Amino acid sequence: MKDSLYLAWCYLRHHRAKTLLLVLSLSAFLGLPLVMRAMSAVIQQSLMSRAHDTPLLLGKKGSSLDLVVEALYFQPKGVEALTSADANEVDRTDLARAIPIRTGLSAQGFSVVGTTLDYFELRGLQIDDGRMLTTLGECVLGSDVAASLGLSPGDAILTSPAALFDLAGVYPLRLRVVGAFQPSYGPDDRAVFVDVKNEWVAEGLGHGHQDLTTAGGDVVLKRKDGTATANAKLVNYNEITEANADSFHFHGDPANRPLSAVIVVPNDDKAGVLLRGRFIDDATRQLLRPARVIEGLNAQIFRFERVLQLIVWTVGLATALMFILVMALSWRLRADELRTMTRLGCSRWKGVQIMGAEVFLMVGTSVVLAAFFGFVLAHYGETWLQNLVLRGS
Amino acid sequence: MIELRDVRFEYTLGGFSLFVPQLSIAPGAKAAAIGPSGSGKTTLLNLVSGIERPSVGEVETDGVRVDGLSPAARRSFRITHLGFVFQDFLLLDYLDVLQNILYPYRLHRDLNLDRETQARARELAANLGIERLLERRPDELSQGERQRVAIARALITAPKLILADEPTGNLDPATKRQVLDLLFEQCDALRTTLLMVTHDHGLLDRFDQVVDVSDFAAGPS
Repeated sequence: MKDSLYLAWCYLRHHRAKTLLLVLSLSAFLGLPLVMRAMSAVIQQSLMSRAHDTPLLLGKKGSSLDLVVEALYFQPKGVEALTSADANEVDRTDLARAIPIRTGLSAQGFSVVGTTLDYFELRGLQIDDGRMLTTLGECVLGSDVAASLGLSPGDAILTSPAALFDLAGVYPLRLRVVGAFQPSYGPDDRAVFVDVKNEWVAEGLGHGHQDLTTAGGDVVLKRKDGTATANAKLVNYNEITEANADSFHFHGDPANRPLSAVIVVPNDDKAGVLLRGRFIDDATRQLLRPARVIEGLNAQIFRFERVLQLIVWTVGLATALMFILVMALSWRLRADELRTMTRLGCSRWKGVQIMGAEVFLMVGTSVVLAAFFGFVLAHYGETWLQNLVLRGS
Repeated sequence: MIELRDVRFEYTLGGFSLFVPQLSIAPGAKAAAIGPSGSGKTTLLNLVSGIERPSVGEVETDGVRVDGLSPAARRSFRITHLGFVFQDFLLLDYLDVLQNILYPYRLHRDLNLDRETQARARELAANLGIERLLERRPDELSQGERQRVAIARALITAPKLILADEPTGNLDPATKRQVLDLLFEQCDALRTTLLMVTHDHGLLDRFDQVVDVSDFAAGPS
């Protein structure tokens, strides 16, 4: 058998272009179903695990999937905003803890997520470098953000303006990096976390500027009845520091500040049922169980996967037939070689062994390649695959 | 070395038959088989080597009654006792020269490919003047060089008998002479019997024995 393998190996190596084509075709045929199965399992497991860790989610009525995707996976879906009053309402029931989530802004390509310290506890996020948020103007980075941007405590990151050419729009806010989280292998790794008030400031709902009561006359346009009107020379701060923190303030009713969603953590199962009961007939809001929503998404993925499997197997069958045809033609072209073998005294069985060794080497290599790519995709492509599914959802 | 007695061979589809009442080639002799195309020269080689089996008669090669052997035993006999040289060389394009010479050792379990064999292959290559070509592929060689590789392949198992089917048929006159000289030298050195099919009557005086196969033609069966 050793000699048959050697001869087969020499033949395949000599005809490397043909061999490579056949091996790649076979790898694709063998690998696609494996990769698809592995991908599907990884995606479903990863999506479900995060959804299971989020007991209830409060949001505006609309697409439940969009709400879950935006609040849990930080993929912008343009869901209608709740208000702080909704979060306060949950808190006042004493049945659950409300964790506000505000998304929508980004910084250097990563989502900026405004929340409270409860969120980090819920997700079990641990500081790897630096410290947790303490004051406004600070941010903590997910591990992928820190790694890909090369940022560490002491550095700073600018929020990206929502509309670059809107001169009346909100200017970028400079955020001081005070910490970075350990990897959690989920969407938290690709987010920049700030206090929810900071997010509002970055959105332009709050701001800081020179104190007009002490400002010079070149800044004040007029003073009347205890109020001062500033002109365009008034300096607006683009960073919240210890020195200017007191100057930051919000206008309007605090209860109306927007939230993308509220994660609701009931005290116990009974409290959860009671809360769901309260929101069941709510005309404008929905309190949903993310796990149920993701189960629905997974069911769709599974259905899609089955259709895809059918296509892949059909293409695979065609590939297998083509492989057989190519091998048959190849052996026919090698009739002289087979005749020489027989004339020299080689048995037909030896000829079959050599041909079998060629098929074995090619199929074996294809299986190894397919398994390798399946493994790599399943283990290292999780984030990419998750984004692919969620962006398209 | 070779004894054929009352051998009759007919192709299944008819149209050709061969009858050899008696043929004897002594050990170490160099015999040429001549005759017009289609007279049965290659068939004679096939009968001697056991590739074909006679319908009647006895074929004894190197003391073995090959006509009485099973197909598997005949194959085993061929690869262990005989060497073949073909007109169109039949070298494998995916093996280098050294591996082409050692090819028979890859085909049969009774032939053990060890270091000694490899050394013998190099020595044979040196004797045939192709020692510098051992790592080349057949398509990088001239016709004469290819035939020398084929001769080395035929000799590597130290056979008692070489069957050569027009080995110089594709060579120019100068190369033909060189190749034939080398083949004869090696057969002399190894005391190997040679039965060679040739159309070239100018070479016949170099052989110990000439077999005119047209004498054996039995006509349509």
